[in-house]
Amino acid sequence: MWSERFLVVKKNPSMKLQKYLMILKISFLQEFAYRFNFVMWRVRNVIQVFIAFYFWDTLFADPGKVIFGYDRAKILTYVFAILFIRSIVLSARAVDIAGQISNGELSNLLLKPVNFFKYWFARDLSSKALNVVFAFIETFLLYLLLRPPIFLQTTLINLIGAIVFVLLAILLFYFLLFITNMVAFWMPENGWAAQFLIIGIVTEFFSGGVFPLNIFPEGAQVVFGYLPFQYLLYFPVQVYLGNVAGAEITRGFVVVVGWIVALYFLTTKIWLRGLKNYASEGR
Amino acid sequence: MKKLKKYLVVWGLMIRNVLSANLNKKVGFLIFFIGKMLRFVLAGLFVFYTLQGTKSLAGYDTDQVIFFYLTYMLIDALGQVFFRNVYSFRQIVVTGSFDLILSKPVNTLFRVLLGGMDIIDMGTTIFFLGTVVWWGARLSPNSAGIILYSLLIFNSLIIIAAFHILVVALGIITLEIDHTIMIYRDIESMGRFPIDIYKEPIKSIFTFIIPIGIMLTVPAKALMGLATAQVIVVSFIVSGVLLFLSIKFWGFALKRYTSASS
Repeated sequence: MWSERFLVVKKNPSMKLQKYLMILKISFLQEFAYRFNFVMWRVRNVIQVFIAFYFWDTLFADPGKVIFGYDRAKILTYVFAILFIRSIVLSARAVDIAGQISNGELSNLLLKPVNFFKYWFARDLSSKALNVVFAFIETFLLYLLLRPPIFLQTTLINLIGAIVFVLLAILLFYFLLFITNMVAFWMPENGWAAQFLIIGIVTEFFSGGVFPLNIFPEGAQVVFGYLPFQYLLYFPVQVYLGNVAGAEITRGFVVVVGWIVALYFLTTKIWLRGLKNYASEGR
Repeated sequence: MKKLKKYLVVWGLMIRNVLSANLNKKVGFLIFFIGKMLRFVLAGLFVFYTLQGTKSLAGYDTDQVIFFYLTYMLIDALGQVFFRNVYSFRQIVVTGSFDLILSKPVNTLFRVLLGGMDIIDMGTTIFFLGTVVWWGARLSPNSAGIILYSLLIFNSLIIIAAFHILVVALGIITLEIDHTIMIYRDIESMGRFPIDIYKEPIKSIFTFIIPIGIMLTVPAKALMGLATAQVIVVSFIVSGVLLFLSIKFWGFALKRYTSASS
């Protein structure tokens, strides 16, 4: 039955875990199939940092200058932190789901004794693991090359808070990406278009990936606080920089957990409806 | 003349094919159009609010910086309109379809570069052209400035063509297009702001080596009467040299095509 929620073969827990670890491992190795492609993806990330670095470095040439609540050290830390957190949160293989739905390849996976959600989460983790290794090396090399003044957070609560928010952001992005890809159940031709709009434009801008969201007026920032996007990149960095205080961190935590729960239920609901609509075209 | 007519006919046919293929994807068309307009608005807000914070950029006032941004959007959209086919070139190579293009009695580079127009950007180009004319009028340009601006926009198209030729040539050798073209787009995005705001050596690198400045900043400066004759002459020379080198590199890459996928 297509509508079965979880296609899991009942085995002992360690076997189940092994299965997904194997998927993670295979997916990790697949990333090296087109090595040059991967290298260029990382080169692109480095170039994006160069561009952002030189732009903000120029605006903050005067070390005493403070714009939008940032001084030179904090804005350049923002640029570097975004590079690093982006590689953890936004790198994902689940972008391929829409293609699998539209060309019928999804049927192959549904017949296998794997949980579809866990399968893609395992693949996402492999992509994140690979990207984070490279991001770490790149951040280090770029630091040596550019020698930016970096703001080092020493307050433990901010450091732990930033890590917690990054972990929550991983879950949040997974559900956002999953829902966006499931558009292909109803519009197989437009899966990519939906990703362009939701992930490529809305998420990219409103997550703070292009510029810090503090540049907007306060009213707009209040609205952003209730949307899920800023919790992907911007908010974890703000927690690290110490730009948000205790009450704001608690409010942010409630909002992001609320979004994760809501998106989880929405994902399962859309998935079940989508499967009813799925006709395995192309197979 | 006969050859030019033939290529115009072929180009017309290719545009017709793209149009008929895209007319069946109305929803996708609408989503992409909304996305592109949203990107324009959000990036514009970034430019605007950055100026609010810094008051001026490298001596340029708000009206001038917004005109630089609108020129960037216009030139970027023009590149998409003409050279969109490059984005799908990898698929053409890895599936072996490139052999079919090579065997046709039409220049291969012409077919690869201009084989697929982005009809969404035809719409956005008209919109950006309108905003450029509207905002440009606020800067009170003279006739010479307007003529130079138009000529330099055409010059920018030559530079964009050269960049796209380099990308497809590299694609033949490495089978990598997607990230290379996006690297070009990322570097191009530096031109949202006038290149003059960057410090040396970045400013010189992005003016003469990777001529984003010539492509995006010089046309707007010419309209404002801020570009010297020397810079304008150098702009035309750089585009010519870049186009020549890119065509040479295309020839070099073509000789290395192994047809392994077909």
